[in-house]
Amino acid sequence: MILAVLFANSDGNILIERFHGVPAEERLHWRSFLVKLGSENLKGSKNEELHVASHKSVSIVYTTVGDVCLYIVGKDEYDELALAEVIFAITSAVKDVCGKPPTERLFLDKYGRICLCLDEIVWKGVLENTEKDRVRRLIRLKPPVEP
Amino acid sequence: MASGQDSSGTTLMDLITSDPSAAPAAGASSQQSSSSAGGVSSLLGKPAASAADRKSRKGTLMQIQSETISAAKALNPVKPVSYAQLARSIHELAATCDQKSSQRQLVNSVFPKLAVYNSVDPSVAPSLLMLHQQCEDRNVLRYVYYYLARILSDNGSQGLSAAGGIPTPNWDALADIDAVGGVTRADVVPRIVDQLSAESSSDDVEFHARRLAALKALTSCSTNSSEMMEKLNEIVFGILEKVADTKQKRKKGIFTKQGGDKESIIRSNLQYASLSALRRLPLDPGNPAFLHRAVQGVEFSDPVAVRHALSIISEIAAKDPYSVAMALGALQDILHLHDVLARVYLAKLCHSISRARVLDQRPDIKSQYSSLLYQLLLDPSDRVCFEAINCVLGKVDNSESTEDRAGGWIRLTREILKLPEAPSVASKGVLSKSSEKSSKARRPQPLIKLVMRRLESSFRSFSRPVLHAAARVVQEMGKSRAAAFALGAYDEGATLDVESLDSDLENPTAEATRKPNPLSNGHGGMDTIAGLLASLMEVVRTTVACECVYVRAMVIKALIWMQNPHESFEELKSIIACELSDPAWPSSLLNDVLLTLHARFKATPDMAVTLLEIARIFATKVPGKIDADVLQLLWKTCLVGAGPDGKHTALKAVTIVLDLPPPQPGSMSVLTSVDMVSASDPKSAMALQRLVQAAVWFLGENANYAASEYAWESATPPGTALMMLDADKMVAAASSRNPTLASALTRLQRCAFSGSWEIRIAAVQALTTIAIRSGEPYRLQIYEFLHALALGGMQSNFAELQLSNGENQGASGTGLGSLISPMLKVLDEMYRAQDDLARDIRQHDNSKQEWNDEELKKLYETHERLLDFVSLFCFVPKSKYLPLGPTSAKLIEIYRNQHNISASGGLSDPAVATGISDLMYESKEAHKETTAMQSGIDPDLAMAWAAGLEDDAWANNAPAVDKVKDFLAGAGTDAPDVDDEEYMNSRPSVGYDDMWAKTILETYDAEEDDGRYSGGSSPESTGSVETSISSHFGGMNYPSLFSSKPSSHGTSQQTIREEPPSYSTSVLQRKESFENPLAGRGGRSFGSHEDDDKSSGNPQSGKALYDFTAGGDDELSLTTGEEVEIEYEVDGWYYVKKRRPGRDGKMAGLVPVLYVSS
Repeated sequence: MILAVLFANSDGNILIERFHGVPAEERLHWRSFLVKLGSENLKGSKNEELHVASHKSVSIVYTTVGDVCLYIVGKDEYDELALAEVIFAITSAVKDVCGKPPTERLFLDKYGRICLCLDEIVWKGVLENTEKDRVRRLIRLKPPVEP
Repeated sequence: MASGQDSSGTTLMDLITSDPSAAPAAGASSQQSSSSAGGVSSLLGKPAASAADRKSRKGTLMQIQSETISAAKALNPVKPVSYAQLARSIHELAATCDQKSSQRQLVNSVFPKLAVYNSVDPSVAPSLLMLHQQCEDRNVLRYVYYYLARILSDNGSQGLSAAGGIPTPNWDALADIDAVGGVTRADVVPRIVDQLSAESSSDDVEFHARRLAALKALTSCSTNSSEMMEKLNEIVFGILEKVADTKQKRKKGIFTKQGGDKESIIRSNLQYASLSALRRLPLDPGNPAFLHRAVQGVEFSDPVAVRHALSIISEIAAKDPYSVAMALGALQDILHLHDVLARVYLAKLCHSISRARVLDQRPDIKSQYSSLLYQLLLDPSDRVCFEAINCVLGKVDNSESTEDRAGGWIRLTREILKLPEAPSVASKGVLSKSSEKSSKARRPQPLIKLVMRRLESSFRSFSRPVLHAAARVVQEMGKSRAAAFALGAYDEGATLDVESLDSDLENPTAEATRKPNPLSNGHGGMDTIAGLLASLMEVVRTTVACECVYVRAMVIKALIWMQNPHESFEELKSIIACELSDPAWPSSLLNDVLLTLHARFKATPDMAVTLLEIARIFATKVPGKIDADVLQLLWKTCLVGAGPDGKHTALKAVTIVLDLPPPQPGSMSVLTSVDMVSASDPKSAMALQRLVQAAVWFLGENANYAASEYAWESATPPGTALMMLDADKMVAAASSRNPTLASALTRLQRCAFSGSWEIRIAAVQALTTIAIRSGEPYRLQIYEFLHALALGGMQSNFAELQLSNGENQGASGTGLGSLISPMLKVLDEMYRAQDDLARDIRQHDNSKQEWNDEELKKLYETHERLLDFVSLFCFVPKSKYLPLGPTSAKLIEIYRNQHNISASGGLSDPAVATGISDLMYESKEAHKETTAMQSGIDPDLAMAWAAGLEDDAWANNAPAVDKVKDFLAGAGTDAPDVDDEEYMNSRPSVGYDDMWAKTILETYDAEEDDGRYSGGSSPESTGSVETSISSHFGGMNYPSLFSSKPSSHGTSQQTIREEPPSYSTSVLQRKESFENPLAGRGGRSFGSHEDDDKSSGNPQSGKALYDFTAGGDDELSLTTGEEVEIEYEVDGWYYVKKRRPGRDGKMAGLVPVLYVSS
């Protein structure tokens, strides 16, 4: 189960968040925890360098893409390595939509499309499409494989 | 929107709409919509005629609406940022969706902005449905499906939808501005569902992309409604019926991925969509159709579809391996799956089937699946390989039994991977990627070698996730090994039908017995399991150098698990010691490691001493960060688990904490580096003190258990001790008889002098407990000591030995006189009574007189009185305890027999009754309670309860126990605590973070605070100082081998601790209260906190000069001008009481002196 996908800017303001199976009262805690993690570890880290954390049985993988930080929380089959796959799918889709590692401005300009991408990649807490081309087609309402 | 815009900061919406292109677009929208509104109804020709009527009415409504809106806009031009405005724009633009400009606007500005909100209200749905029917622009439609799915997935309660975002404003409020008016979810959902299901069932090839999207959107509806589920099932299985049969099309599908014929591609797309929907449907293990379709899915050409199929099958296989194994054919050529997660599910599937008991009759199937599993060990993806290792080790979730895990270890060390004779498929797929290896790999290989090689190379990776995952795998390996060890399966392979081992595999027993040179792993050692493990561990250890603290934590956990009870743990110790010096470690992580120690102990009780030594490092290095409750529970469990031989060492490990110098430079240098305290900041200094206090208490409660020294088992008559009044002789005799107890005493005595005031109190109480419980000469030794302490006479002697920690040691030498005198009184009484008894016995002996009933009665009464008195101080087994000494036993026995008194009729005693009934309440064992009540309390049983020797002790609900249990169960997806206040509350509020979840935030905070403030009664066990400092001793939840709630101690300690500064008043109070028990009032007369407050004199009244915000639990928020009563002052703080509770619900607490005018 992918519990949370969260985008934040470098100041720790949350841009997009998608929770699945996280009770509402715990979301605040997750937000603060993730943002804190990022503020402590992502400063000066390389673009798309993967960071890892864990809490009890939950794994967390996070990274920066352009000016935006991306955090993913998962459990069970979505361990660090599976989350690394998820994060790779998401970052490549984001870069595809934005055309380059996004600045915060660019990210916000493409906000809608990024939400659609996310919808195609992580759906109901389960990883769906990972290939960039597939995602690109699906957010334009084309079939995953073109006839 | 009002809630969305914070005057202090930018909101997400502001950021998005600050897009320069958005403003003109908005302006254009009003023009466009008003000019084109007339054309709406004429363009409705395309959809079905039946809907036309409704549409046109709607169109008219829209027109009216859009006109009013544009008029309003003209008057008051604002950017369309609020939710209401967005909703209005959608209504407008939906009416003109045939125009390019409207479409563009929807796609570029309206829909993306709507995505910011966390839910979409149903009133937008009619417009969305209109767009869904009329619009042909793919991009618009994609958004339409997205929002329809969100409306469907909303569970009705606002703001709690799966997606996050700015909370959508109240829907009821929106109903006013919505011209359609009063649209509820109940109205729109059936319409959405109807429209989407019609679309997803249509076979029109032209629209099959829309069909896929419709099906996906449909799947997001909540699974609660059975009607919905039925419909969905019907659709999904309907599609699968048509497309799932792949037998004839398959070959083409696989090998001609992109260039296949149109029909098969459409078929594959539909396969993908339907399986993806099937995956979201609730699992239906009993349904053969469900399984059948999933099994068919394994052969689909779409990789995502195959992944979903395998995940469904592996889930069913965990529940019903037999039918899955029967339904699945040969799976050999499945290894070529491109999708990593698909192979992960495959590994799980293989594991479930190969381990299934129900398939014992079919060894062929089982061996086929286990061989498949072993082949996955060669997978190029680390994720798959690690999953396969975990499966081999017997780890799937956390519910496996020890036997499973032990079996896993045996499997790993004994089994051999034999690749299929003709690996034609393999060469095509996965294995071809490691072609240079494959020639070597094709030789039969022991699994352990493969695994070790793989792990070692993973540990050389630079990727943190890989390191973390690899360390986790090593940890699982350690768990399985520990399980094998615990079951003794470590050296016998008879339980499994193992093929004969390669000669290069040394018998694994060798590892257990191997002691020397575990590190010299030259190539000579490489071929034994021990050698392999040693070289792996070498690599693991170097990973400690990773800069990511989480990776290091995982490595340390792995090392703890791989630590062999027979090996030296010096290296582990020094690794942990130097790790903990790093301030980067968050406390949650440290507590996690501490819990790992618990788990390790549970797995291998032999390691109690080792683990205690490690736990000690935590206590000394990071006292401020660890959870004292968890640490103490560890002490306790280890002490009990260490067995008769290890008890001494275990206790010693605890007492080391007491040897810690006070946290200041230039303290004692005799200690090794491991024991140096790094409590430089005041917070951890305070925590250390708390820990020392806890250790003192623990020592007092448990020293007798550890030393196996009990007064009621001591054979030494009291007279012997009286002859040894020379202190030196006494100490010598004591230490020779029982070094454990003697050393505990020495430590406590030192604490009674050198600690802070709180520690000294705890030490004196601990000493009293030991004095009461121990036989001679310890009792006398303590008596002497306490006596001296009360007089303050020895202070000068000791003062030179001890470094002052800067605290006022108290005017009367120790400041403990008031506390000690009642304790001395008990002991005095006991000795006096013993003297009397000795004298009486002598008299009777001399005159050869029998004891008459009157005398016996007097004796018995004295015995009972003393027993009650003693019980106020600590728990003693009443039937066995003899306050008058062993010689009185016979006489009391006579009296009891004559008068038919049950030996343990002491339940009338209030203190003990309370204490023990508390115990019984805690263990929640009703039947035990009744038996205990009937036969009186069987002291052994009571001791066992108290000592937690029975597993029932785990059933009590102390927070630490819960934590450990949670951890052992592998549970916990709950959010971590962020100890940094800054991040919780006062993050600089540029954030929409703060404002977007404002509603949740506010209510949540209030709840949390309430919980925290009531912490006095239920001690919280976060590791942070401020939350637990006051509650710990109040709650007395210390695990003790004797009594978890010594009532008299609890109260008196609380009394003292909660008003440390008021020496004089508390002394008065204490005198009173300690005299009361002599008058027979019992333990409850010690006075609750409130009584103290009242008796502590006349409170001064004061006024708050400034606003003050509480920084911790014990502090109190003030607003300027508020009137308060000042109870007392301590270190620049007033303890004040308010007239009525403040906004946070608190009445009393600490405030800085300067904030209050007195």
